[in-house]
Amino acid sequence: MTDEAILAGIQDVARLHLAWEGALTPDMRLIEDLQLDSVRLLTLAAEVENRFRVFLDELDEGAIATVGDLVSVIRRKLGG
Amino acid sequence: MVETILDWLERAGRHPEGGLRFLDRHERETWFGWVEVRERALAVASGLLAIGIGSGDRVALVFPTGIEFFAAFFGAQLAGAVPAPLYPPVRLGRRGEYARRTAQMLERSSARLVLADSRLRGFLGDAEATATPDLGCRTLGELPRSAAEPVPAEPSDLALIQFSSGTTVAPKPVALSHRAVAAQVEILNGFWRDNGGLRHSCVSWLPLYHDMGLIGCVFPSLARDATLTLIGPEVFVARPAAWLRTISRYRGTVSPAPNFAYDLCVTRIADAELEGVDLSCWRTALNGSESIAPPVLRAFAERFARWGFRREALTPVYGLSEAALAVTFADLDRPFRCRRFDREMLSRQGMAREQEGGREIVSVGRPVPGFRLRIREETGRDLAAGRVGRIWIQGPSLMEGYLGHPEATARTLRDGWLDTGDLGFIHQGELYLTGRAKDAIILRGRNYAPEEIELAAGSVAGVRRGCAVAASWLPEDAPGEALALFVEASREATAAELEALPAACREAVLGATGLVADQIVVLASGALPRTSSGKLRRSETLRLYLAGELAPAGEAVLPLTAALAEDEGCEG
Repeated sequence: MTDEAILAGIQDVARLHLAWEGALTPDMRLIEDLQLDSVRLLTLAAEVENRFRVFLDELDEGAIATVGDLVSVIRRKLGG
Repeated sequence: MVETILDWLERAGRHPEGGLRFLDRHERETWFGWVEVRERALAVASGLLAIGIGSGDRVALVFPTGIEFFAAFFGAQLAGAVPAPLYPPVRLGRRGEYARRTAQMLERSSARLVLADSRLRGFLGDAEATATPDLGCRTLGELPRSAAEPVPAEPSDLALIQFSSGTTVAPKPVALSHRAVAAQVEILNGFWRDNGGLRHSCVSWLPLYHDMGLIGCVFPSLARDATLTLIGPEVFVARPAAWLRTISRYRGTVSPAPNFAYDLCVTRIADAELEGVDLSCWRTALNGSESIAPPVLRAFAERFARWGFRREALTPVYGLSEAALAVTFADLDRPFRCRRFDREMLSRQGMAREQEGGREIVSVGRPVPGFRLRIREETGRDLAAGRVGRIWIQGPSLMEGYLGHPEATARTLRDGWLDTGDLGFIHQGELYLTGRAKDAIILRGRNYAPEEIELAAGSVAGVRRGCAVAASWLPEDAPGEALALFVEASREATAAELEALPAACREAVLGATGLVADQIVVLASGALPRTSSGKLRRSETLRLYLAGELAPAGEAVLPLTAALAEDEGCEG
C-alpha cells in the first residue's frame, strides 16, 4: 500500500471517528495539531488497527508523534 | 473480627463459578477461578520475599487489565508489602510525560520495587532512572522461585496505596488500611445481596489503578466469592458497545462507570453493534467519580431502553479515594432524581430553593450505612439543610492519610472527619453537589492538578509569566465538565502574540497534559483574583467568570496586589 493510500485511510478514520473534517498532512502532530486527548488518541489507535488490520505494539507507539510517523509504522506493519 | 483482603482470597473458591473472566479486544474469554488467582499470587509473594521485600514495603504495579495484575497485587499483599497500582502509558501518548508522572508517583510512594508487564517495562526505564527504586523494575517472570511462606496481614496494616490523581505536580498517595477496605466492601456488598435465584455478578471496564475499578468491583466480587468480568479500558474506549455486549452476554447485574462513559455510549455506539443485546439483567448502573450531567442520564436511559435497559438501574453516587470509595448512594431501583434550583440564590446566597426553569442538579442520594455527612462553612460551623457549603464526612473507611504528606493530611482529616473539598447542599435529606472548593480538575473520571496545566500555559509567549489559572466545572446542559483556562496577557505582548494566545495556550496545555481546554479566556494584566499575599485564587476565578465579572484583555484592571507583583509575574 502506498503512503498516499495509508494517509487517505487515516484521513477516513479521523473523519468518521474523530469528527476531523480538515485535510491531514504528514507533518501534523497528533496531540497538538489534531487536538487529541487521551481518549481520542486511544480511539485513533484502535480504529487505525481496525482499518488496516494491523496491531500496533507499545514499541511502535512510542515513536509515533505525527501523522507521518503513523503512516510509516503502518507501512512497515503491512510489510511495505 | 475484621477480615482482610487476604482472608477473602484464602476463602475464595468455595463457589466453583467464582473467579475472574477477562475479555480481550476481540471479546474472547479467558477464565481464572479464585483458587488459581491465589496460587499465582502465592508464587509472586514467595519471589518477592526471596528478593528481600519486607513487611510494609511499597511495590508499584504497572500492568494492563489481565491476570498478571492480580497475581502481582495479591502477591505483594501476601508478601506483607503494600501494592501501589500506577497508570500504564496511554496509547500514542507522550512517553516523556509518562516517564515524569511515573517517576513522581514512584518517589511519592517510596516504592522499593516496580513490578511491570513485560511489554510496558520498556517505557519505565526513564522513570526508574529518576526515581531509583532500590530493587529496580522486574517482570513477574524475573522473580525467583522460592518456598517462602506468605505473611499474614493485620486489619491496621496498610492494604494499598491509591493515587487520587496521576499528575506531575505533587500527586497525593492515599493510604488505605485493610480495616478501611473491609468496611467499604461490606458497605458495597450490602447493596447487592444474593437472594432467591439471583446471584449478582459485576462487569467492569474500569482501570484497575482506579478506585471504582479496584475497590468498587474487584474486592466486593472476591469477598462474595463471585464472578467479575473484566474488559480493558482501552477496549471500552475504542468500542463502547463491547461494554454493553459483555453485560448482556454474561448477565451482569452491577456495572459502574463515570459520567463520560454513559455519554460515550450514547454518541459512539451504532444500533447495529447491539444486535441480540438484552440489558434487562443490569440492575445497578452506578454513575460516579465525576460530575453527573442530567442530560446524559436521560439520553442513556432513552437510547438503550430498546435493548431492555431499565431507567431505574441508573444510580448516581458520590465518593472519593480518601473515603476508600462510596460516600452516598441514590436509592437503588428508583429512577434517578433531578431537581431545579434558583440560580441566583444558589450562586449569590448559597441557598437551595427549588424553582421551575432553574439550574438542574442530580441527587447523589443519602450517606451509605456507617457514613455521616455535614455541610459546613469555611469556618467549620455546621450549616442547615438547604445551605451550600463544604462537605465533611465521617465513616468507617476513611484513609489513614496522604502518604508522606503530614500537612495535607492534617488539613483534610480533623477529629475523625474528612474535608472532601467538594461543595454541596442537602435537600429533602439527599445530597446535591454544586462544585468544588478544592483545587482539583476532574475530567473523564480522572483527577488532575491545576498546577500542571497552569505551568504549561504560564510560560507561553505573551502570557504574563506564571499568570494562569485552570478550573473545570459542569456547564448547564453540557454532557460533562468543561476545562477553562484563564491567562493574563503580558503588557509587553505584541498584537500578533495576543492574537495567537488562545491557540498557543491550547497547544501548550495539550502537549504537556493531554487535555483539551474548552474555554481559553485572555484577561488584562492584574484581572485574576489574588489572595492578600498575591497567590492566584482558582475557585474565585471560576466564580467570577461564571458570574460574568472578569475583565477581558484591553480593559485596565490593576488592583494593589497585582501592581506589587507586576515585575515578577505571578510565580513565587
